[in-house]
Amino acid sequence: MTYAAVARQVVMEFANGEDRTRVLHGVDLALPLGRMSFLVGPSGSGKTTLLSILSGTLTPTGGEVEVMGERLDRMQPADLVRFRRRRIGFVFQQYNLLAALSAAENAAVPLIADGVAWGTAVRRAREVLARLGLAGHEHKLPRQLSGGQQQRVAIARALVHEPALVVCDEPTAALDAQSGRAVMDLLDAASDDASRAVLVVTHDDRIYRYADQIFAIEDGRLVDADASHLPHALPEHGTNAP
Amino acid sequence: MLGIALKMLLGDRVKYLGLIFGIAFATLLMTQQVSIFVGLLTWGANPVLDVREAHVWAMDPRVRQADEGLAISDAELYRVRSVEGVEWAVPYFRGTTTVKTAEGRVNALTLIGVDNASLVGLPPENRAAAAEAIRGRNAMVLDETLVGRIWSDGRDPVGEIVEINDNRVTIAATTDALPTFAGLPVGYMKFTDAITITPPERNKLSFVLVHARDGVAPAELARRIEAQTGLKARTREDFARAGVNFIVTNTGIPASFGIAIGLGVVVAVVITALTLAMFIAENLKSFGALKAIGVTNGQILGMVLAQSLLVGITGFGLGIGGTAAFLAGAETDPNLDGFLLHWQVIVGALVAILSIVVASALLSVRRVLKLDAAVVFRG
Ligand SMILES: Nc1ncnc2c1ncn2[C@@H]1O[C@H](COP(=O)(O)OP(=O)(O)O)[C@@H](O)[C@H]1O
Ligand SMILES: [Mg+2]
Repeated sequence: MTYAAVARQVVMEFANGEDRTRVLHGVDLALPLGRMSFLVGPSGSGKTTLLSILSGTLTPTGGEVEVMGERLDRMQPADLVRFRRRRIGFVFQQYNLLAALSAAENAAVPLIADGVAWGTAVRRAREVLARLGLAGHEHKLPRQLSGGQQQRVAIARALVHEPALVVCDEPTAALDAQSGRAVMDLLDAASDDASRAVLVVTHDDRIYRYADQIFAIEDGRLVDADASHLPHALPEHGTNAP
Repeated sequence: MLGIALKMLLGDRVKYLGLIFGIAFATLLMTQQVSIFVGLLTWGANPVLDVREAHVWAMDPRVRQADEGLAISDAELYRVRSVEGVEWAVPYFRGTTTVKTAEGRVNALTLIGVDNASLVGLPPENRAAAAEAIRGRNAMVLDETLVGRIWSDGRDPVGEIVEINDNRVTIAATTDALPTFAGLPVGYMKFTDAITITPPERNKLSFVLVHARDGVAPAELARRIEAQTGLKARTREDFARAGVNFIVTNTGIPASFGIAIGLGVVVAVVITALTLAMFIAENLKSFGALKAIGVTNGQILGMVLAQSLLVGITGFGLGIGGTAAFLAGAETDPNLDGFLLHWQVIVGALVAILSIVVASALLSVRRVLKLDAAVVFRG
């Protein structure tokens, strides 16, 4: 199996006044292409920190991070920004769409940032929106859309540049059950692409059944994702070993 | 990314309009006040500039500017004429007196006496008719600009008889002189008439006006006149500048205009700095998301600079337009006569506004540049 991302012995410490707080204690994990992986665990366990490291927005204090064969932990900041722009898609809990931009323009941002001409970028964004069931909403501003629709625009933005890794931090936390399912269906479909891996950080147990594999984290260490840690039955192929 | 930047800015209509009107108001305040100030200063030079034929002015050493009359002896005229390099030298009277109209109204008047033969100092406007008219006994050519100060009913003053120190003077023609800082109507008479109708004093010669021979530099000629006669001699340019400097150093005008201009700068700085800082603070989360997605600091800098330059240039344009409209509307107002919007003022204000706007933008964008992309994942 080939992996979009591999973490080896990843350590993260934050300066805390004089002291340093260790948030990740040597995490090993791999995200296979064509799969949707979940990272679950209690609040404060280090999920967001690990997702930030895997997506190149945070540099670990120790260990190795490899995404599509490139070592993020050794990359210069400028290269890291360019790498994120081309290879990573982001979905945030609060959508983080630009209020002044239409749905299509919002979805086109990664292409525009990468120098694609405005018209071309927006046209490609419209195609992605249509695939995500948002045809007819391309010209609307975020405030004219429901929360679920906004998150689907955010997913379009995360997919428009065809990234190898899509990271989603609590993508359904702000949504009702039905909208949450719609969002997860789209992410599920996106992860079927053999050239892409999707990582979802969540503690929303309603959506665990979408996971191809589940990593459970507690106090900065991966633990066995067996039924005793998880309130609901795991999908049949759930495992957290790389 | 610039398209995104401009959409973000235009999307926040209140701040966008606030910035534009703040900058427009500041520009208007600054350029209008500077234009009026510069206009007033040029008025200080106008008594000298109005005498186009004189290269050098010779006078009592204590005189600092054209409105300070301190007469010298007639003999000085001949001594000046004998200086090497003088083509011609003529007498010039300049003093303040009072006119009384037939109706009994009185008004102060700047009385100018020009050389009987050459009429040097008579403005070029309506020159032929004025030159003819002034030759009559006790005839006066009156500057039409402030005629309303003497007769408020808008009548044509030509043919009116006025009294100056109990002498009957006929207004024989009108002319158009440059406006002066003293703000008095100006009347021209022959030198001999002017000195006869003013109160008797030992000396009546205010200035000797000198024309240099071809090839003689006025500055050099002024030095020679000073050396040979002991008078003070100044070139036309130097003496005009002395009139300007006199206003600068002897009135509160620079201070009061300085305050108004300073207020314009303060308004511009406060409004743009605060509004831009607010705009960026409110969009911090969006900028954070953009940084996570892969927008570089360089691109964000470009976005914020584009946003601030857009409001800066738009606001500046409106403000300059306002000043131009004000000055155009004031063209017929004698109190603002000759006030222009000089290109130096436009360029200066543009530079000031753009520096303020760009500095404010750079100051507030620092927060975004230092922002860690990972914050976008934190509540
Ligand atoms: N920038 C930071 N500086 C200091 N401590 C941090 C920072 N980011 C996260 N932490 C700490 O790291 C721990 C894990 O945080 P996080 O990864 O956000 O957990 P989760 O996403 O599982 O709730 C928390 O104790 C949090 O306070
Ligand atoms: Mg979290």
